[in-house]
Amino acid sequence: MKVIAILIIVLTGGLLIYGIEDMPDWGDPNSPANSHVSPKYIQESLEKTATPNIVTAVLADYRGYDTMGETTVIFTAGMGCILMLRKKRKGEGD
Amino acid sequence: MLEYIISKYNFWVYVILLLIGLYAMVGKKNLVKKLIGMNIFQSAVILFYVSIGVKTGGATVPIFMGDAHAAHGHGRAIIDVASYINPLPHVLMLTAIVVSIATTGVALAVLILIFRRYKTLELDEIMKIRKDTGV
Amino acid sequence: MATHFPALLIVIPLISALFVPVIGWWKKGLCYPLVVAVLVVPLISALGILNRVIESGPFSYYLGGWAPPWGIEYALDYLNGFVLVIITAISLIVSIYSKKSVEKEMPEKVVPFYTLFLLLVTGLLGIVVTGDLFNVFVFLEIASLSCYALMAIGRDGAPLATYRYIMMGTVGASFYLLGVGYLYIVTGSLNMANVSELLPSLYDSKVVLTAGIFMIVGIGLKMALYPLHAWAPNAYADAPSAVSGLVAPLMTKVAAYMMIRVMFTVFKPVFFIELTPVTTILTWLAAVAIILGSIYAIAQTDLKKMLCYSVVAQIGYIALGIGLANKSGLTGAVLHILNEAFTKGCVFLVAGAIVYKMGACNINEFKDLYRKMPFTMSAFLIGAFSMVGIPPTCGFFSKIYLIMGAITAEKWVFVVVLLFSSILNVIYFFRVIQIATFETPMPDYGRDKPYDPVYMDEVPLSMLIPIQVMAAGILLSGIFSSKIISTVIQFVIPVDF
Repeated sequence: MKVIAILIIVLTGGLLIYGIEDMPDWGDPNSPANSHVSPKYIQESLEKTATPNIVTAVLADYRGYDTMGETTVIFTAGMGCILMLRKKRKGEGD
Repeated sequence: MLEYIISKYNFWVYVILLLIGLYAMVGKKNLVKKLIGMNIFQSAVILFYVSIGVKTGGATVPIFMGDAHAAHGHGRAIIDVASYINPLPHVLMLTAIVVSIATTGVALAVLILIFRRYKTLELDEIMKIRKDTGV
Repeated sequence: MATHFPALLIVIPLISALFVPVIGWWKKGLCYPLVVAVLVVPLISALGILNRVIESGPFSYYLGGWAPPWGIEYALDYLNGFVLVIITAISLIVSIYSKKSVEKEMPEKVVPFYTLFLLLVTGLLGIVVTGDLFNVFVFLEIASLSCYALMAIGRDGAPLATYRYIMMGTVGASFYLLGVGYLYIVTGSLNMANVSELLPSLYDSKVVLTAGIFMIVGIGLKMALYPLHAWAPNAYADAPSAVSGLVAPLMTKVAAYMMIRVMFTVFKPVFFIELTPVTTILTWLAAVAIILGSIYAIAQTDLKKMLCYSVVAQIGYIALGIGLANKSGLTGAVLHILNEAFTKGCVFLVAGAIVYKMGACNINEFKDLYRKMPFTMSAFLIGAFSMVGIPPTCGFFSKIYLIMGAITAEKWVFVVVLLFSSILNVIYFFRVIQIATFETPMPDYGRDKPYDPVYMDEVPLSMLIPIQVMAAGILLSGIFSSKIISTVIQFVIPVDF
């Protein structure tokens, strides 16, 4: 098993290190990630959503659907644990 | 070469963490150690996303403090984009952290079921029990 | 109302999944009718969506009114509508089947079971209908978590098989998330249509190549593509019958849908065909999957495990069709998704019926089963015909298209692989049918005494009707396959093939 593990590590590590080269520098304010979608969030969220915290505005308003999915994930995990672990009241369960 | 490592050192950190987590998931025999490896692996991905949103040059957290009431509804105050960091990766990672915790919870419940059945949590002992009892 | 079908599709099962525990812990018998009634609504919505796409072309739906790429968008086109109808139809049929099976296998866990059933259907529908890359990850995790919990309560080896599935499934989802992050770094957007516009100028960037490879590997882990298939046989075999009847036809095929989306909508086809050798590697892995899956299936004595190896082989067919990347190949792959859904649904429900009656499904104990359960075994026969590829079932048409795709691409090796695998399929399916039909248990007394009369001992009607509906679905989709291709599938193919 250790041999397979080392092989997977070498392959994945090689691929990741190969991909580092073209990335934008850390903290560059003009990288594509910082200049395509997010300036509009920063500029307009206060007047459109009246929330000082931009992260809350995006989480609950622009991308509220993802938040609904996230609460469903928690509910699913809770129900899964109830399904797996609940024992019968009397006698033995399993 | 040194400058190449220094200008992108956040990526090197997350690559090393990801490889440690992946090795623990595949190479360790104890089931709980595999779970911890999974957690390290997911934390590495989360760190990677959060490090995307940083802006150098004195940028601060994306919360409007103080002048919020001045700008609220009374015309637009000038908001300088370069002084607030990118909020979108933080939003995505809030969801990803919750998903990671939920998966850990379900995995722990499955571990309880395994322990009730085989009375051990080492993979090679479980395989031996399965071979002996023909399950 | 009709304009909001896309939102209704997700919201109704989700809200009902919150109501099922409330109603169920008050009165347990009300769970099952509620679940069946709720699952009719997504079927109507999916048919309405497909109808609208066929009449007026693809459309989108903005959630919350925010325009993309600042908000989340549903992008509904031919491929979406097609897969949505399949998912909703199969989930409705399996939910009707599930009542007796759940009552026999896990009677005290009915309420959480149905909750997780509805959440699994919600997750699968959410993956297919959305047009935003991160939203796919969230719904993928909803579907996966409910799948893990539902599978862990099966028979003996279920918890260990589920744990291995959790490990490999989480690696797959995290690799997909990593790929999305890389795409976000270079383009700055998360919307599928927006990213596909911004990407072509960046094709020679190493980050884009790494992103593509991570997404394909992650989706391949979820899809049980060889060599990442190790979790599939044990996990599906030991799961409860209703769960394997729902998950085996759908989960891997939704992952195949994701692969078609990533390869042909987000990255344009030229990236994977000419600039990188990904499609070539994909076709070779698919060929190995087909041969090895069929060979392992022959060696099994447990019916469900044999069917699971058959799933691995059939995913090889779909991956071969995607990797050939020409018109016939992709048509064959999409038609095979339809075929697989109905065929695997039919045979896994038959296996569940056999477990219901006999308690286990060892093939060597199937003697005289054809006289005891004639309707069930005839449905199994139709499923076997479809798997081998005998007309007029749907399997014949999808295999013809795959073979034509291999001939057009002039890769004769794959033609040989496809034909050889049909022979292997014949071996392992007809072995089951032979034992069930022609072998009878040896009598203890002399030869001239007649055998004890064997009475027909079928499963209850609520399990029998869904099996027959699935078998009818296989036949109907085969007979109407050319109409399906001309109205829906031919618009799925990207224009430059």
